[in-house]
Amino acid sequence: MLKVLASICFIGSFISFGLGAISLFRFPDSYTRIHGLGIGETMGVALAGLGLLLLSPDWIIRLKLIFILFLLWIINPTMTHLIMKAGLLHGVEPVDDTRLRLRGER
Amino acid sequence: MGKKRWIILFLLLIFWLVISTSLGLPHLLTGVFFGLVLIWYWRDLLSGFPGISTFQELLALLRVLFFLAREIVLSAIAVARTLLFSRPAVSPAFILIEPPLTTNWGRILLANCITIAPGTTTIDVDPETGRFFVHALTEEIAQTLMYWPMVDKIRELEKLIQRRTKDVMVDSRSDVPDTFGTN
Repeated sequence: MLKVLASICFIGSFISFGLGAISLFRFPDSYTRIHGLGIGETMGVALAGLGLLLLSPDWIIRLKLIFILFLLWIINPTMTHLIMKAGLLHGVEPVDDTRLRLRGER
Repeated sequence: MGKKRWIILFLLLIFWLVISTSLGLPHLLTGVFFGLVLIWYWRDLLSGFPGISTFQELLALLRVLFFLAREIVLSAIAVARTLLFSRPAVSPAFILIEPPLTTNWGRILLANCITIAPGTTTIDVDPETGRFFVHALTEEIAQTLMYWPMVDKIRELEKLIQRRTKDVMVDSRSDVPDTFGTN
C-alpha cells in the first residue's frame, strides 16, 4: 500500500517537473519561465519528498528528509526572488504585452 | 544569553545530531561549538526574529502554513492549466500592492509566501512604505493576489505578537529597543 502511495507521489512529482520543462519552451520570457519552473520546485520537490518519506526505513532518514524539504522551501523562493530581481536590475526585457497594475485598478 | 538564543541553539544542535547520526561526545561538543559560533554570528538577525510563545500564536502560525500549503497546490494547478491550455500562453503583469503589514518579519513572511506559490514572485519590498513589487504570470493571478486572504492571516499573527510584546514591555518597564523592526 505504501509503495502504491509513494509511486503516486513520484508520478505527480515527475509530472510537475515535466510541466516545468514544457514551460521553458512555451512561455515567452525569462520572468514567465521562472513561474513555470516554480511548479517543479514546489509541488515536484514536495511530492518527491513525500514519496521518499513513505518509503524510508527509519526515523532518522525521515527527519533528514524533513530538514531537506524545509531548507528547500526556504531556499527556493529566496533564489527565485534573487534571480528575478537581478534580471530586472540588469535590464532583461519582459515580453512586450507585460502590464503594470496598481492595487484596486481593474 | 536570552531564552530565544537557547532555543535556536537547541534546534541547531538537533539539526547537527540528525545530520551526523551519532551521539558521541566529540560530535556533541562540535555541535555545541558551531551552534554558539552561529548564534554569535546571527546576533543582529535574532533580535528582529519574533518568538512564538502562546498557544494562540502557534494556532495563527499553523493557520498561515495550512493556508499556504492549500494555496501552493491551487496555484500550481492554475499555472499548469495556463501552461497547457491558454492561448495566448500568458498575459504577465508587474503589480504594486501595499499590504497593511507593519513589521519587517511579517513582510518577509508574506514575500516568501507570494514567491513560493507558483505564478507570483516578489521582486522587491520597500522597507519604508511596505510596498511590494510583484510579477504575476497572468492577469487573473494578479487580481487574485491583490485581494489575497493570506495578508489578513499574517496580519492577525502580527497583531497577536505585537500585543504580547507590548504587554511585556509595559510590565517590565524596561527600555527594550524596537526589536521587531516596526516602522
